[in-house]
Amino acid sequence: MIFIYLLSGLFLGWSLGANDTGNIFGAAVETRMLRFKQAALIAAIFITLGAMIEGSGPSGTLGRLGSVDALGGAFTVALAAAAAITVMIRIRIPVSTSQTIVGALIGWNYFCGRLTDFRSLVTIASSWVVAFVLSGVIAAVIFVLFNSYLKRAKIHLLELDAYTRWGLIVVGAFGAYSLGANNIANVVGVFVPVSSFKDLNIGSLFVFGGISQLYFMGALAIVAGIYTYSHKVMRTIGKDLFHLSPLTALIAVLAEAIVLFLFASRGLYNLLLNAGLPTIPLVPVSSSQVIVGAVVGIGLVKGGKNLKYNILGKISLAWVIAPVMAFFFSFIALFIIQNVFEQTVYQNIEYTFNNKTMNKIKELGYDTDGLSMVNGRMLENERAVYSQLTRTKEYNKAQIMEIIRITELFPMEVDLSILRTKGLIKRFSKERIKCLETLSGHKYKHKWELQEILTAMPEWKLYDKPENEFQKNHNKIIREQLALLYRSFSVPGDKK
Amino acid sequence: MALLLKTTKFIETQIDQFLDVVSDAALLFQLAMEDYLMGRNSQFEERLAQIREREQKADDLRVAIERYLYERTLIPENRGDVLAILENTDEVIDNIKDSLLQFSIEMPVINPELNDLWMQTTRASVSAVEQLVSAVRSFFQDLPAVNNYIHKVYFFEREADQLGEKLRRLIFSLDIELSRKSQLRFFAIHIEKISDYAQAVCDRLAIYTIKRQL
Repeated sequence: MIFIYLLSGLFLGWSLGANDTGNIFGAAVETRMLRFKQAALIAAIFITLGAMIEGSGPSGTLGRLGSVDALGGAFTVALAAAAAITVMIRIRIPVSTSQTIVGALIGWNYFCGRLTDFRSLVTIASSWVVAFVLSGVIAAVIFVLFNSYLKRAKIHLLELDAYTRWGLIVVGAFGAYSLGANNIANVVGVFVPVSSFKDLNIGSLFVFGGISQLYFMGALAIVAGIYTYSHKVMRTIGKDLFHLSPLTALIAVLAEAIVLFLFASRGLYNLLLNAGLPTIPLVPVSSSQVIVGAVVGIGLVKGGKNLKYNILGKISLAWVIAPVMAFFFSFIALFIIQNVFEQTVYQNIEYTFNNKTMNKIKELGYDTDGLSMVNGRMLENERAVYSQLTRTKEYNKAQIMEIIRITELFPMEVDLSILRTKGLIKRFSKERIKCLETLSGHKYKHKWELQEILTAMPEWKLYDKPENEFQKNHNKIIREQLALLYRSFSVPGDKK
Repeated sequence: MALLLKTTKFIETQIDQFLDVVSDAALLFQLAMEDYLMGRNSQFEERLAQIREREQKADDLRVAIERYLYERTLIPENRGDVLAILENTDEVIDNIKDSLLQFSIEMPVINPELNDLWMQTTRASVSAVEQLVSAVRSFFQDLPAVNNYIHKVYFFEREADQLGEKLRRLIFSLDIELSRKSQLRFFAIHIEKISDYAQAVCDRLAIYTIKRQL
């Protein structure tokens, strides 16, 4: 069943492979520096590697914006994003799945009454602008350095040709890797929370995780896009949009690859974090806009002649129009899928203000007088709780979010056989599994209940105030494992 | 790295050889002209044979380079330009050979009072070809220097034109038959033409140089 739902995501992957590979290899293929077969093979290998190795970073950021919790919803969100991207391409505005998927996700949040994390939204939206400008700056700097070096180095035209050819292969591979890492989130990111793929144990050492399988399928869809349609797109990009010499193309693609990598690499993120430097958010950005940014940067350094300024207007327009269009497409499509095709597009999560949750809120030191209006009530969604609590003017946003977390009704039953059936058991240490076994058969209404019981055990301990990277990483792993348990032990119908 | 550039180095050598041959031919032309004016006919014929051999070698090298560039899809963006440069440069050597061949066939009698101006025109044309060879070499290896050599080609072409005009005026001021005057004018123009060909190649080279800039 998941394969049918996954079709819309795979279509997005196909479209990414068909369109965005052209941004990396278009100029190289059109100028005949590389044959299409070479370019396609390099792209296929490195996009897959990028998606599998570093794809989780941008997916996480997208997940914070909206975590779709039903397959039907994920299908519809991806479909709406695909439809919006098709429309934008038809009117010849360079856009990518990044922009449309964000709009579609917010559409889903709005449709099912969930709150949108505006901090994540601002991070993502500002990244689009930053990525565009940054790629222009990087391309301009590389261009100036290259130009002055070439003037001094006196490299023979034929040797320069050989170096450029190899450069296009190496930089193209790097670009493809970065594209896979950065953009796989757009393709299958919405399916991550609802993936039903089981972990596969290959031999006794290697585990092919469910999420990795999902990324792998997304990567396969991208590869299909590369082989079936990207040749045509490469020719169009290389010829029509911006005619670049092979050397200028090399610089533009290098700038694009660097920018995509900056916004995708968890390794780099951790490195900056450890060095106490400001980090770059792991956000899926548009490769089409990034390459245009690079070309504009080079064009400006060359004096701004022959630059198509209208393309800048089109891109600015895309930053606004694409998400808005995808938002409406998503909202309408969710309505149709839910009411006409009778599919579940989100899990109905309710929020209860009973003695248990009120006491827990008190434990946190919050004044519960402001909750008198909702005490004893069950609210139907996040937004309803938020609007009720904001009306009281007693709590700030962080406190409201904490109250929402406590009152969320999420029935669960600890059942280790589920972990075994789904092949997830190997993700946990033997000690942690032993702890879980002691809770076997126990039922919980709230996530925090299970968390409190588990984290009271030394094997599941969470550091209150992590002081170093080790402790931060430990907390991150525990939280990820807890999230996995919530999903696995969820019993949606058991609300009594 | 050496393996990576094996084919490249081979073609680079071939291009260098081609340009050496063009340069040799121009210098041989100057020597042949001196021999002719001094009446060293057998030595002149030897020079002509050497130039013919060079012309053949230049043709072979040019064809081989063209074939390599196309077969291995090298420098796809500049291939057309490079081939045009090589073909036009090859025409210069053809012109040099034709000119000397014409001397060998017609054996025009050149009055001694023309010798000095005749050699000056020849040297100006040969210098234009030599500067052209340097310009083409720079096109491949040292782009910023190309314009400097192109400027020199234009200079020597103008010099050859002015000297050629003086030579023709001197020819027609001589007390000889009109048919001889007409024949000598034909040969004088032939020498001037060599620098014109060099200039024509430079006109294209200037554009290709702009195209090659990043």
